[in-house]
Amino acid sequence: MTLRVDETSLKNGLLTLVVTLVEIIQEALESQAVRRLEGGELTEEEQERLGQALLDLDEALESIKADHGLTTSVADLRRGLDDVVNDVVDRLVNPARWADGTAGEGA
Amino acid sequence: MAESRVTTAPSHGQERGQELVHDRDRSSAMEPTRDLRATLPDLLDVLLDKGVYLDLDLIVTVADIPLIGVSLRAAIAGIDTMLEHGMMQQWDEQTRAWARTSLARRVPLHADEDVVTRMAGGHRQDEPYDAWRLGTVYLTTRRLMVWRAEPRELLWQAYLEEITGVELRSERSAGGEERSRLAVTTPAGTTLVSAASPEGLASLLRQNVAATSKAIESGSGGPALQGAVWYLEDLAGGSAWRGGTGTLDWVEGLTWKGVRDARPAVRLRPGDIRSVELVRGRTPVGDEMLVVRGGTRPVRLATRDTALWAASLRDVAGAATGGGAT
Repeated sequence: MTLRVDETSLKNGLLTLVVTLVEIIQEALESQAVRRLEGGELTEEEQERLGQALLDLDEALESIKADHGLTTSVADLRRGLDDVVNDVVDRLVNPARWADGTAGEGA
Repeated sequence: MAESRVTTAPSHGQERGQELVHDRDRSSAMEPTRDLRATLPDLLDVLLDKGVYLDLDLIVTVADIPLIGVSLRAAIAGIDTMLEHGMMQQWDEQTRAWARTSLARRVPLHADEDVVTRMAGGHRQDEPYDAWRLGTVYLTTRRLMVWRAEPRELLWQAYLEEITGVELRSERSAGGEERSRLAVTTPAGTTLVSAASPEGLASLLRQNVAATSKAIESGSGGPALQGAVWYLEDLAGGSAWRGGTGTLDWVEGLTWKGVRDARPAVRLRPGDIRSVELVRGRTPVGDEMLVVRGGTRPVRLATRDTALWAASLRDVAGAATGGGAT
């Protein structure tokens, strides 16, 4: 599975790649933020600030995607990345299938 | 698209995948589906939740002669996981403590000042050269200011009581677009202020300027009188005195709030107060009560200093009507 980045427009492709990566990082940050909030260590003011900052980031990303018409290309790239991850995880979880695959390629 | 995914799916999932596709074709598009595939965010979540510890020693040799050595130790995890394992605790605390202190002195506000709204924006300076200086526009209960966080500087400010005019002007920006600017007039001159939402800022600014000038005309910004006041409440089985706080304000008028109440039980605007009388009668603190007429029914109040409250109430009512309550 290869990742397809639109090569006809380098700017669009590069921006798609950057936005996609930022979006994935943002999601990771969000789930870690939820963990910290549930940990109950943060003060009310910190919780408020954290939530607001993540909300701002989300809005900024959405507006960048809308401004440059990247919504579909980002979704496509994410699906491609997810396919790669799915393949890798599947092989790691089931080493037997990996062996099958390499045996098949070798033959 | 669903078909192509089935063909790339691993061998043993193929049958199940096809069943799923058939099911989906048969039923409506709104069937709930569950995707069991791993995605990149899932993978990151698991890695960060569990934490990854990498301990790598590596030697690069040429012709069995070691040339380059790499010794790498890395731990990557969500801070919550780090803290669970007793790592980075001090750093976490220091970072948050620093943020607390730096935020407290972020915007220099007066003690009795509250932020009404803030948005990105800037102001136009004429001297020593003509330029827009950008920062964050803050509208507070006392002034309009442009604040830059880094490096910290109060770029421009105008106290609300000094502002004599607020006007929206259309201007051609550097990018060739028409933009609305706010022209704020003070005794020092007229300054152009840009803001993310000029219309919203203008209307809020006008409201606050009007409220400020009204409070100044009335002689005071704060409450005129505040103190312990008892209120005779009419209940089904008769009436009873309740203790609480009475507030008399030039703008808000008379309010009374019980000790455990969330909102005031009595609320009379200055213009609503028709008359204030002193009547003899037993109260928790004396033998004279205030009867304020104006709402749907007379409000009976008791205080230690009924004469002062009666005079102040008449003043407030009189300032509102221009005449004077009896």
